[in-house]
Amino acid sequence: MKTGIIKAYIKKELLDLYRSKMIFMVYIMPTMILLLFGYGIKIDVTDTRTLIIDNDRSKLSYDLISEFEHSRYFNTRVERLTEAKALDLIKQNRKDLIIIIPEAFERELTKGLQVAVGVYIDGSFPSRAKTIENYTTGVIFNAVMKQPGFQNRNQELIRINSRSLFNQAMSDKNMILPGLIGLVLFVAPAILSALLIVKEKEKGTIFNFYASPVKKNEFILAKLLPVLILHSTNIIILFLWAVYLFKVPFRGSFMFYAGASFIYIIISISIGLLVSIITSTQIVAVILTLIITIIPGFLYSGMLMPISSMEGESAIVAHIYPVMYYTHILYDVFLVGDGLSAGKNQLYFGILTGYAFLLLGAGSFFLKKRIK
Amino acid sequence: MRSFLTVTGKELLEFLRSYGLLFVVIYSFTLDIYIAGKGITLDAKNISIGVVDYSPGVISNKILLHLHQPQFQKPVFFHSQEELMESIRNRKIMAGILFESDFEKRFLTKNNPEINLLLDSTAATQSFLTLNYLEHIIFKFQKTLSLSPVRIEIHKLFNPNTSYVFFMALSELLSIITLLSVVLTAAVFVNEKENGTWDIMLLMPVNPKIVILAKSFSQVIIIMAGVIISVGIVLFGIFDLPMNGSLSVFMLLTFFYAFTSAGIGLFIASITHNIMQVAQVSVLIMMPIIFLSGAWTPVYAMHPVLQFLSIFSPLRYYIQGSESIFFRGTDLIDLWKYFAGVIFLGSILFWIGARKIGKLF
Repeated sequence: MKTGIIKAYIKKELLDLYRSKMIFMVYIMPTMILLLFGYGIKIDVTDTRTLIIDNDRSKLSYDLISEFEHSRYFNTRVERLTEAKALDLIKQNRKDLIIIIPEAFERELTKGLQVAVGVYIDGSFPSRAKTIENYTTGVIFNAVMKQPGFQNRNQELIRINSRSLFNQAMSDKNMILPGLIGLVLFVAPAILSALLIVKEKEKGTIFNFYASPVKKNEFILAKLLPVLILHSTNIIILFLWAVYLFKVPFRGSFMFYAGASFIYIIISISIGLLVSIITSTQIVAVILTLIITIIPGFLYSGMLMPISSMEGESAIVAHIYPVMYYTHILYDVFLVGDGLSAGKNQLYFGILTGYAFLLLGAGSFFLKKRIK
Repeated sequence: MRSFLTVTGKELLEFLRSYGLLFVVIYSFTLDIYIAGKGITLDAKNISIGVVDYSPGVISNKILLHLHQPQFQKPVFFHSQEELMESIRNRKIMAGILFESDFEKRFLTKNNPEINLLLDSTAATQSFLTLNYLEHIIFKFQKTLSLSPVRIEIHKLFNPNTSYVFFMALSELLSIITLLSVVLTAAVFVNEKENGTWDIMLLMPVNPKIVILAKSFSQVIIIMAGVIISVGIVLFGIFDLPMNGSLSVFMLLTFFYAFTSAGIGLFIASITHNIMQVAQVSVLIMMPIIFLSGAWTPVYAMHPVLQFLSIFSPLRYYIQGSESIFFRGTDLIDLWKYFAGVIFLGSILFWIGARKIGKLF
């Protein structure tokens, strides 16, 4: 190891990043993504644009309507329209849900007959459609059960007494933010490092490296360290946003969080460097990095879909990507708090470390010190 | 006109000859969309269930019979609540059901029976859906006891089986279109800056306006070709996506949208000096645009300020328009606002972008 050369290289890289104003991006981008998505993404469905067509106009149907009007899940309007006209409104994307209360709704119900209520849901966004379906059946059911004739039946009903572990309030932010940190720390360092080597190739300055006495590993180290130094600060910045701005509980140990994040950033940078080494033009490197980091970062983090319910190819791919292991640790330090005492956390921490070495090894394997 | 075609042709040729870029673009229009559509359902599937049953077990088993594939894995039985908690902590079990010892008695004597449900809420969407499913199952279970007098007839329009494949594949395609048209257009200009061929371009006896237009047009062509490949092979060929509207209307909307994002690309190209900055600035500009488009949270559920801001996201009109064409089969006349939105914002963005970069000529 020639520390002098490495030091010089690091200084040059830092200066380069500083002069091209990239240094601001290092800190603006992660924070911006965290704030935007942290405030913006809602998993719960609220304000469903609802249209109720009341053909009955009885006390019961008014009760039913007022149940909908008082629910924050629905934004209800009552109008007199034909069914076809109403369905057109869904087609034009102006309503999400249409409920049609039939004539003689109350009368037949009190006679003890079964009555059908028609419900039409816009199914273009599948998970939202499903949630709307369940909320709607629940509201209608409860409204009917509140009627005097059904009080005694009410007592027979089984109630679900649900408790969300690790996140009592079922707060969206608590669920999303740890996953977001995992996404940001995967994407941002990779984008920054993806161009570091391919840039030199395209400009021709890579010949400095070919001709200089610096070794391959030293070169990679010199490219990796500046980005690592800059991005390490983000570990703390993102943590502060999450805990103090979004008030996400932090139950684990900070050292464990910082350590895992540090290794994770090394992985992300190594992926960027690998892309940089195998591509020959910058634009290819940019698009490739965006595609292999952002999309899997979202999909395989376990934020959208728990790994335990994946099957087939996607389960395999999810285990190949390092995102899943880190997100597991993140959720643990934020919401669960078992830390290194849990076997699974130790294992995943080990896997992450393995990844870092593997990717760096691959990088130094593919990097050539002469023209092919 | 001839010089317009020459510049366009030159850019297309350059694109076709850079094999790496060609490969990445084709990959993102085909395999990437395939993976997103195939691999991911936001649906709660295969939910792992743990059960602790302190009750005699007659009624509880009847309820558990309703938990089956594809939503639920076979329930795993535990002896005590502590064991169950341990499994949830290690994320082997996502939802735990606990029957108290007096559950059956209360059920039979009609005295407000209760089930306790423990949810691992670290998987956000799924814990909501799991709760929903279980409520639904209990609801159905009661119905078999003919407790409910109302029959609720649910019609899910456009997508009766709530398949996620169509939705994910289409969303992925729209994101890819946005990403590529911005980055490619910006790169076409910045490449010249970086390679030093910018000066050669300035010396060409061609009106700068034509150069700008031709260069952006060439990238729009590339995007359109990619969209045709992707819609033809992946969406229709492999996924058999239903088409309720007209394909040519979608292509037309895509064409206008590609120009809109090209305008954003022009703007980025005018303020950056190298590809590294292009990458960073594009992410910085595109994130809010994607975010405000309502792709993840519907616009009407956003904060009022964000709702107002979302008017300025061209992607909003494009996504809603495309979904309306593919899924809802909206009539052409009712699509006017999406076209108006895309074209209006597109002309402004393209004009600003072209003006900004035109100053460099």
